Formats: sequence, structure tokens, C-alpha cells
Amino acid sequence: MANLNGRSRQENTYDAIVVGSGISGGWAAKELTEKGLKTLVLERGPMVRHLEDYPTAMTDPWDTKYPQGKLPAEQLKAQYPVQSRTGYTVNEYTKHFFVRDDENPYTEEERFDWIRSYQVGGRSLTWGRQTYRHSPMDFEANAREGVAIDWPIRYADLAPWYDYVERFIGVSGQNEGLPHLPDGQFQPPMEMNCVERAFKQRVEGRFGERRITMGRCAHLTEPTEEQLSLGRSKCQYRNMCMRGCPFGGYFSSNSATLVAAERTGNLRMRPDSIVTSLIYDAKAGKATGVRILDAQTLKEEEFYAEVIFLCASALNSTWIMLNSTSSRFENGFGNGSDQLGRNVMDHHFRVGAKADVEEFGDKYYSGRRPNGIYIPRFRNLGDAATKKDFLRGYGYQGGASRPGWDRDLAGEGFGADRKAAMSQPGPWTMQLGAFGEILPYEDNRVTLNHAAKDKYGLPTLSAKVTIRENEKAMRKDMQAAAVEMLEAAGFKNVMAADMGYAPGLGIHEMGTARMGRDPKTSVLNAHNQVHECTNVYVTDGAAMTSASCVNPSLTYMALTARAVDHAVQAKRKGDL
Amino acid sequence: MLNRRDAFRGLALTMGMVSVGFAGPVAAALPPLAWTPAALDAEQARALDAAAELIVPKTDTPGAREAKVPQFVDRAVATYLDKPQAELLKTGLSQMNADARAAHGKAFAELTGAQQTALLSRYDQEAAAARKAWKPRHFFSLLKEYVTIGYFISEPGATLALRYEPAPGEYHGCVPLAEIGRAWAL
Ligand SMILES: Cc1cc2nc3c(=O)[nH]c(=O)nc-3n(C[C@H](O)[C@H](O)[C@H](O)COP(=O)(O)OP(=O)(O)OC[C@H]3O[C@@H](n4cnc5c(N)ncnc54)[C@H](O)[C@@H]3O)c2cc1C
Ligand code: SF4
Repeated sequence: MANLNGRSRQENTYDAIVVGSGISGGWAAKELTEKGLKTLVLERGPMVRHLEDYPTAMTDPWDTKYPQGKLPAEQLKAQYPVQSRTGYTVNEYTKHFFVRDDENPYTEEERFDWIRSYQVGGRSLTWGRQTYRHSPMDFEANAREGVAIDWPIRYADLAPWYDYVERFIGVSGQNEGLPHLPDGQFQPPMEMNCVERAFKQRVEGRFGERRITMGRCAHLTEPTEEQLSLGRSKCQYRNMCMRGCPFGGYFSSNSATLVAAERTGNLRMRPDSIVTSLIYDAKAGKATGVRILDAQTLKEEEFYAEVIFLCASALNSTWIMLNSTSSRFENGFGNGSDQLGRNVMDHHFRVGAKADVEEFGDKYYSGRRPNGIYIPRFRNLGDAATKKDFLRGYGYQGGASRPGWDRDLAGEGFGADRKAAMSQPGPWTMQLGAFGEILPYEDNRVTLNHAAKDKYGLPTLSAKVTIRENEKAMRKDMQAAAVEMLEAAGFKNVMAADMGYAPGLGIHEMGTARMGRDPKTSVLNAHNQVHECTNVYVTDGAAMTSASCVNPSLTYMALTARAVDHAVQAKRKGDL
Repeated sequence: MLNRRDAFRGLALTMGMVSVGFAGPVAAALPPLAWTPAALDAEQARALDAAAELIVPKTDTPGAREAKVPQFVDRAVATYLDKPQAELLKTGLSQMNADARAAHGKAFAELTGAQQTALLSRYDQEAAAARKAWKPRHFFSLLKEYVTIGYFISEPGATLALRYEPAPGEYHGCVPLAEIGRAWAL
């Protein structure tokens, strides 16, 4: 039926379909095509070609349309009221890589900041590139504490895939030998500056359990042959990454996984393809393909494959599943557990401290390092000394720098003296901002809203997510421990801050189709297959059973590569 | 016949010569406005042109005028600032001309450098006082902000008054400031 444009079923049939081309979908595409499967990637947003489609990558400050590339307040309010809540993501240099909120509605039953990039590459173009492994402790915490359900996998299941992913994407960082922040396959770490080095020495000397390390980030500091062969090169320390990197210095789908997939000859990329639902064959007990709406022609079309990977980002994969109803799946695809859409997690942050540093006035740095320092979790590590009155923990991202000419624009004076002063760097400051784990709560939830349709007439999501006592207690400690360390380092005017957090703002939304052993309490099994329909894999943040406190994307990549390996073996064995 | 503007230029030149050796600012000579304003009227534009160069004067590096800062501020008023801010700037520039006339019988741009500086100093003190008292923002604070931004993001400002490196290539975390000499533009 629905092949409205009259193409034959055969023409629209592939070995595998991947929905979404962001961090997770790019990995699915690379792995499937490299393993020989003819793969169709369906991406709802427009094409973004590496290098060619980074229109602002080389824009100099004097060539912007608006002062410092900041968009007029009225435009932000009309077009990007949600995307601009971060305060740093949407500007003249980057706005084309974020969704227009006026065109992509959802309902906030409680404030929920859903920050999205709809395009080939997804948020791999705009992410912050901080890259950490979940630890053995993270995979065991739910079971040990009786929170939610147990993960169906352990660190050892994922460790080889972490190795594999890190080698390909390129991660710069320092091995530290910590059980709660596993080491990895790292390229040389970036350098700390003078103040950070002093901070490290003083704080580590004072607190045995706290380690100050260089941020681990997906940037090339010593590219491998494989990375060079993809056309990537060493990071140039421009720190303009969110505009797209002309050097391929950081990992994105566009610069890496999609290039690798393309060169196999097995990839077909179809942008402007909004996947609206999965097609389910009740007799076979399998999904046979997906329905799309072409964003350009507004025509519906169907595509078919033996195996389907949902990688549309946590909430969008969940939306597709909620919108895929049939007599078998009345409440959403594979939702026998009623867990689909529940347990929304993120990382809560925007709390910490900063200080003035009255030393090192004769020292400065050169280059714009796209990275900071990292302080791994040091609370609740399993011993009495680190135990606190909340569950789980948090890590800090931070750094020291000297402000430039814009440090006090409204300050007193004018003329030659002020000009000269502003041409010199200001005094050093150091700041620490914590990222904390959020527990999975069943009633932190997204649901399908048939009452509010988008411009395509499709139902939209409604979100109701809040943080609870555990997170609030943790925030107090996140602030206090930051103050304590800056003071211990001997820095001055230490100022604590809790700038408030709304769920979603961490841009690490996850958990809405969680993995588990029991189909009654989870949506996915240990290989990211939908329990109730095993030829559909969901490998983005939706799969997460708990959140850890570290940035999550590396884990999505490792889960994806592992799931593809499983799918290809299962297909060969005729098990799909 | 000399028109008014040429007569003033001659005067400014003489004054400039007279004032050699006196440590006050040199009069901002009144050139014909080298640009066509988009949002400001002619008199506001001339006041802006003169004030910008006093806020960020030419020193060993170019000043605001050479960096086309007045044009930048005019464009910000036309396309970027919200209505209340745009109004604050425009009425502020007109106020400068009104105050100049009340005190010296001439528009701001036609005053001597010393007179202009005195007037701006008064505004600067008023702006600081308003800031301390949490009063509504003084126009001079906004003007100074946009002149400063316009200057340091301009090509001469970023590359000559500051140090600008589009693709540094490397990061060094602890180098003598003297080796770099100035703040980084970005
Ligand atoms: C500013 C910012 C900073 C961040 N910093 C970090 C960080 O430092 N470290 C970290 O680990 N993570 C970070 N993240 C989060 C990271 O970007 C995400 O975790 C990651 O991109 C998720 O990958 P994904 O493939 O699941 O989703 P995405 O990368 O969002 O890709 C999903 C893709 O699916 C497409 N899609 C959606 N719906 C459909 C549909 N119905 N049909 C077809 N296609 C569809 C979208 O258009 C998109 O291209 C950051 C994000 C942002 C925005
Ligand atoms: S800092 Fe590195 S990764 Fe970022 S834009 Fe520059 S070269 Fe690319």
C-alpha cells in the first residue's frame, strides 16, 4: 500500500535501517556498513556535508552581522526560546545547527529544556566533546542500592567496546588508575595552565581522595593512520568547534563515522526523512520497516529491512515507539512493561564556585584550549570515608583563565588609559562546576500528546520531569566541596553559586526505554533489542538504566557498536 | 567662500598647534562625516563620531574612527539593540549636542577636545553614580559599551590592539605574559 510514489518494495528494501545520524546513528551506520550490510540512514533534518556545510567556521569577529555574533533578543525569543536557555548554544555562528523552537513544539508540564539539533550529524556537531567511561560501580549501583532495576550488563561487557570506540574517535586524556573512572585508549592529554597545575598540586596534597586530571575530550592530539585516512587532522586549539571543524579536530558523525560508512559503498543517506513509526508484522512477530514523512515533499513512504536501529536520540526514539501503535502494541511499540517514556534522567549542574587568583600575574597562555580540567567523583565510593547523606556522586569540570577586553565594559573611565588596560589580560580566575547523577524515577516521564500537533500534523511530546530530594541534597555538597577546594588552594574571594537547574539543561536526556533483564520492567534487553520485537535495536540514551555522573555519549557509542556486532551475528545465524 | 566646517577645521588646526606641549587631549578635528548613518540623524552621528574617538583614541594602535566603530554603533542601533536601548542611545547623543550648545553654543562635534572630554567625564561620573545606586542605565555607559565592543571586534582592534590567532595550532598553558604582550582577542 503506502508506497505513494509508486516505487517497488524491492527498491526500498535494505539489509538494515538506521534512524538518526547523530552520535549513535553515525556509529550504527559505520558498523553496519563495514560489516557488509546495505544500510539506509534516515535523518529528519537537512544534509550537512563535512567542511562544505560549515558556513561560519572561518568567520572572523569583524565579519559578524551582529555584535559578537549575539542574536537580537527579539529573534531569540521568537525562534529559539528553549534552545537559548543554555545561554551559550545559539548565536550567529551556530544557530543553523539547532532546531527552531517555533517549528518544533513540545509541551512542558514542568519546565523541561529540550536542546536539539536536527540535521545530518545531529548533536555530534554541537556537543561539548567531554568523553568518560561509566565505571563498574555505575553498572552495579541500582542493584546494590535497590534503586529502579539492575542493568543487564556489567562494565566488563562494555570495556572492549569502549576501547574500540575510543581508538576510532580519538580521545585525548590522562590515565589515572581510578576504579571509579576507568582509564582508556587515550591520545596525549591537553596541557593544564599554571593556575590549574598549582590547584592540582595543592588540592591533591590536601585531600587524598580527590584527583585533578585533564578533561578527557574527543579531540585529536596525535591522530592515528586511520583518523588521517578519513581526512581528519590534529586539533588546532581554535575552540570554535560548535561551528563545525574544518580540521576534523573533534569527533563528529560528519567528520568520522559517516565518512567511514560512505567509503564502504554500502551507505545510503536520506536526509529530510522524518521517521514516524515502525511497521510491525504481527504474524512474523517482527518489524518489517519504517514509515517516513518526507520533510520536503510531505509525501509518506515506507522503507524495509531485516534489522532496524533506532538512534534518533533518547526522546525522539521514544516518540517513534510511542507513535508506533498496532493491535499488538496498543500503548506503544514494545511497551508491555509500561516503562516506555519513563525514568527520564539528565545530569544536574550549574552549581559550584569561583575564585580570584592573585598569583601568576606575569604568566599567560597561548592557544584556545577546547577543554578544561576534570575532578572525578569522590563521594560514596564504597568506603566509610567518602560516604555522604545522598546516593551516588558528581564530578567537576572547571578551569582557570584570564578574562580579556570584555571583562568590564560598563566600568569607569574612557580614553587612552582605559584602552591600554583593556588590551591587557585581566587577573586569573578559576571556576569549578559540578555535574551530578540523577536517579531514575518512574514518574519523570514523557508522553505522547495527540492534542498538540506539529506543523506536519504529527503528535508531539509532553514532558514532566523534576529533580528530587537526593539531587537537592547533592547540590548542597556540590557547592560546598567546590568552595572548600578553591579555599584550600589559597585562592581569593571564593564565591559559591547555585544558578539553578531545570531538567534537560544538561543536554544528557536518557532512560526512556531502559535496558533490563525482565520484559515486565524494561523495554530493552542486554543487547539493546526490544524485548518484544528483537529485530529492533535502540542504542541511544533511551537505553540507559542509570545515569552515572559522567557525560554519556561515549557509552551510547559503545552500546551501539556492541549491539551492531550482536545484530550481525544474529542475522548470520538466522536469529533475527 | 569658506563654509562653516572648513572654517572650523582651520581653527582646530591652529588650536592643535597652539596646544603642543600642553598635556590635554588634542581637539578632535571636525572632518566631514565619512559614512552615512542608517539609524542616527546627522547630528547624532557627528556626536557619536567624535565621542567614539575619545572613548577609544588612536594611540600606538588605531582609534575608534579608523576601526569604523561609529558605523558599527549606528548599525547596532539600526539592526540589533532593542527599542529601549536604541532610544537611550539616540536621545543620549542628542543630549550631548544639547548640553554642548547650552555650555558653549556649539554642537558636540564642534567643541574643542578639552571641552568634549570635560563633558564626557561628567557623563562618565553620572553613569558610575547611577550604576552604584542601581538607577536606570545612563546612556554613556551603553555608548561606551558598544564603542568598546565595536573597537575590539574590529579588524584593527582585534589584530593590532589585541592579539588575534585564528588557528593557534598549539596550546601552551604557562608562558610569560611579556612574550605575548597583549590580551588575546578571543
Ligand atoms: C551543547 C551541547 C554540549 C554537549 N556536551 C556533551 C559532552 O561534553 N559530552 C557528552 O557525552 N555529551 C554531550 N552532549 C550530548 C550529546 O550531544 C548527546 O548525548 C548525543 O549527541 C546523543 O547522540 P544521539 O545520536 O542519541 O542523538 P543526536 O546526536 O541528537 O542525533 C539524533 C539524530 O536523530 C535525528 N532524528 C530525530 N528524530 C528523528 C526521526 N523521527 N526520524 C529521523 N531522524 C530523526 C535528529 O535529527 C538527529 O540528527 C552535548 C550536547 C550539546 C547540544
Ligand atoms: S579547537 Fe580543535 S576541534 Fe575545535 S574547531 Fe578547532 S581544530 Fe577543530
